[in-house]
Amino acid sequence: MGEEITNMQITRRALLGSASATMLAAPALAQGRRFVIMSHAVHQRAVTGAAGGDSSAAWKQQAGVETEWLTFGVEAVHERVYREAALSQGGVDVAFLLDRYTGPHVAPLFEDLRPFMEAEPLETADEIAATMYGSHNFRGKQTGIPYRHATHGFFYNKALLRERGVEVPTTFAEIIAAADRLTHARADGTRVAGFANSMDDPSGTMDLIRAHGGDFITQDYRFVGDAEPAVRAVALLRDWFRRGVLPRNVMTFKTEEVITAMQQGRAAMTTQPFGRFINYNDARQSRFAGEIAVAPIPMAGSTDLAPAKTSVWAMAIPRNARDKRLSWSFIREVSSRASTIRAAVNGNGPVRSSAYDDPKVREMAPFLAIEQRVLPHARLTVPGFEQAGRSMDIFMEEVQRAMLGQAEPLAAMRSARSRIEPLLPA
Amino acid sequence: MSAASPPLAEGDVSAPARQAKARPRSRPLFGGRPGLAQWILLTPAQLLLVSLILLPAIWVGWLSLHAVSFTAEMRFVGLGNFRTLIDDPVFWRAVWNTFLVVNAVVYGELLLGLGLALLAAGWMPFRTLFVALLIAPYAINEVSAVAMWRFVLEPDIGMVSWALEAVGLGQLDWSANPTDALVLASLLSIWIHTPFTFLILYAALQAVPRELIEAATVDGAGGWRVFIHVQLPVILPALLVALMFRYITAMRVFSEIWLLTEGGPARLTEVLAVYLYRAAFRYHEFGLASATGLVMMLLSLSIAAPYLYTAWKRMFARA
Repeated sequence: MGEEITNMQITRRALLGSASATMLAAPALAQGRRFVIMSHAVHQRAVTGAAGGDSSAAWKQQAGVETEWLTFGVEAVHERVYREAALSQGGVDVAFLLDRYTGPHVAPLFEDLRPFMEAEPLETADEIAATMYGSHNFRGKQTGIPYRHATHGFFYNKALLRERGVEVPTTFAEIIAAADRLTHARADGTRVAGFANSMDDPSGTMDLIRAHGGDFITQDYRFVGDAEPAVRAVALLRDWFRRGVLPRNVMTFKTEEVITAMQQGRAAMTTQPFGRFINYNDARQSRFAGEIAVAPIPMAGSTDLAPAKTSVWAMAIPRNARDKRLSWSFIREVSSRASTIRAAVNGNGPVRSSAYDDPKVREMAPFLAIEQRVLPHARLTVPGFEQAGRSMDIFMEEVQRAMLGQAEPLAAMRSARSRIEPLLPA
Repeated sequence: MSAASPPLAEGDVSAPARQAKARPRSRPLFGGRPGLAQWILLTPAQLLLVSLILLPAIWVGWLSLHAVSFTAEMRFVGLGNFRTLIDDPVFWRAVWNTFLVVNAVVYGELLLGLGLALLAAGWMPFRTLFVALLIAPYAINEVSAVAMWRFVLEPDIGMVSWALEAVGLGQLDWSANPTDALVLASLLSIWIHTPFTFLILYAALQAVPRELIEAATVDGAGGWRVFIHVQLPVILPALLVALMFRYITAMRVFSEIWLLTEGGPARLTEVLAVYLYRAAFRYHEFGLASATGLVMMLLSLSIAAPYLYTAWKRMFARA
């Protein structure tokens, strides 16, 4: 029986693989080799954006290929990449993966890049922090080369602070006090929430928890979400929600809603990736262009930097990629120092420290000097593991239960422990 | 047969009867047991049904008995996935929410669709315009419709929310209150799908013989009695078909919930289709997702079973 199942799988996969390879290859016959990159749209902008220039242009000419970017939302990218990589023959040459969606369970779908790195090393490979490599290294296998990081900073609307006579907070305790004073209705009727937080994943909530000295799942896979600092942060969220310091519809807030609320002045403060500075201060998108500033997230009781949430996108080669050497040459090209600088000008969070020192980058992205200070303290939301997605959902479910008053914060976090611990790697 | 025809004596066989006796009786094209011609005509449709519905359904059933992910080999787990479902309180909440939403939507649509159909079937100026306006929501893409309603019902900036608050009705707190969220999802679904029920019932009402209604009116029946005793019996089969179809399609309710709340807050508004989506596309647990799909199919089948049984009996009644 088991053999029959395996045979059926191979046949099906072979069939799907051949079909997708044929579909992908058909136009290529007419135009020359197509090089398929599956990613989020932000990566295409970072690699090919107009402000910094197209990092792949020279490579395409040299390799005699045309690149095709297949871009999707964060969750959909991973679902499609994994589906494609599981086939016996694939049509994707390079895939961009986010640390918390990967893990040892999907590592077999991708090439171990260490032999590639040894044969044709990256330019000054040690300039990329070991922790960034580590976010895509599972049981010694390097599945991705870091390309982009999204590290959180503390954003505040200077105009709204002035309007309410609030000083710029320097500790998280001051942020809490400021959030209260900034929650008001403006003269034009706009309701302003003191603080906005995305609720679809734990990244924003983790900033609050870590500013209180707590965490959720440690790098060695221990659940600590029911420790006192984390419970205090959840209690703060509940209190904010009850008193309207958070937007009324915060439960449906995703990153996009936070961005819009900040741009429209419906929220006064938030924590978001530093790169959002450009969106917040773009006069075409924001009513408060030039008025939204960013600073490091401070700890609750001091001005020390809190370990801000970071996430790392990396480039991987699916195990069924057609020409892996070509894939590697693309990765080398777009992760070079020059390409990293171009991408940073295009709004990318640079993974190389040298990009932070580049004068053009500093001019185009003044927030990078602050981000450079925060980066050594930053931590991933959770380490990658098979049930990371389910664990994050359970955690947010329990946080929301506490916010709605269906459970006390401590009881909710204990419930999270009982449900998440069985999912953690041994 | 005319009264002038002479009675047939025993053994006397009329000409047509003799012809019928002489030729072997050919099978009627419709009714009776299907012959080769019917089977040949039916084959393409049957092949489509088998390849697009039956085989995938069998495959889903097979997957539901296995642990399946992108990387590991498929592993037989028996009823393990179903046990996981049974032990998961979120699944039971999804079942309950699906039950509530489906019934609210189906019966809400039925009442509204029937009322509107009766209105349109009676005397009405600009009937064509009225019908066109009624079926307009059905032409709107479901995703666009939900996005539009969500926008106008945003608590802080939605026009409808402001209007409701301005007239003292308060707001529908759909982002934080699970009950309000389910009510809104049901209302949206009713708004989108009522035209389907309306069209079926409106067409059925057109088929009610006008003489019957006139006769009942002449006999002194009022509007209500005409409806109960004349129109309802005629449109009942169409009403049952509309009911069954909407039950089955409403069971798959997804976009209204997903686009409004994604099943939140705290997964309190999750329905079965959202549960399935999470299992398949977020957790990549295809065995669990298949088991959920199978449960949904069995629920739909249990609703359709009485109708299918009746149809089956009717189909072979003349065989």
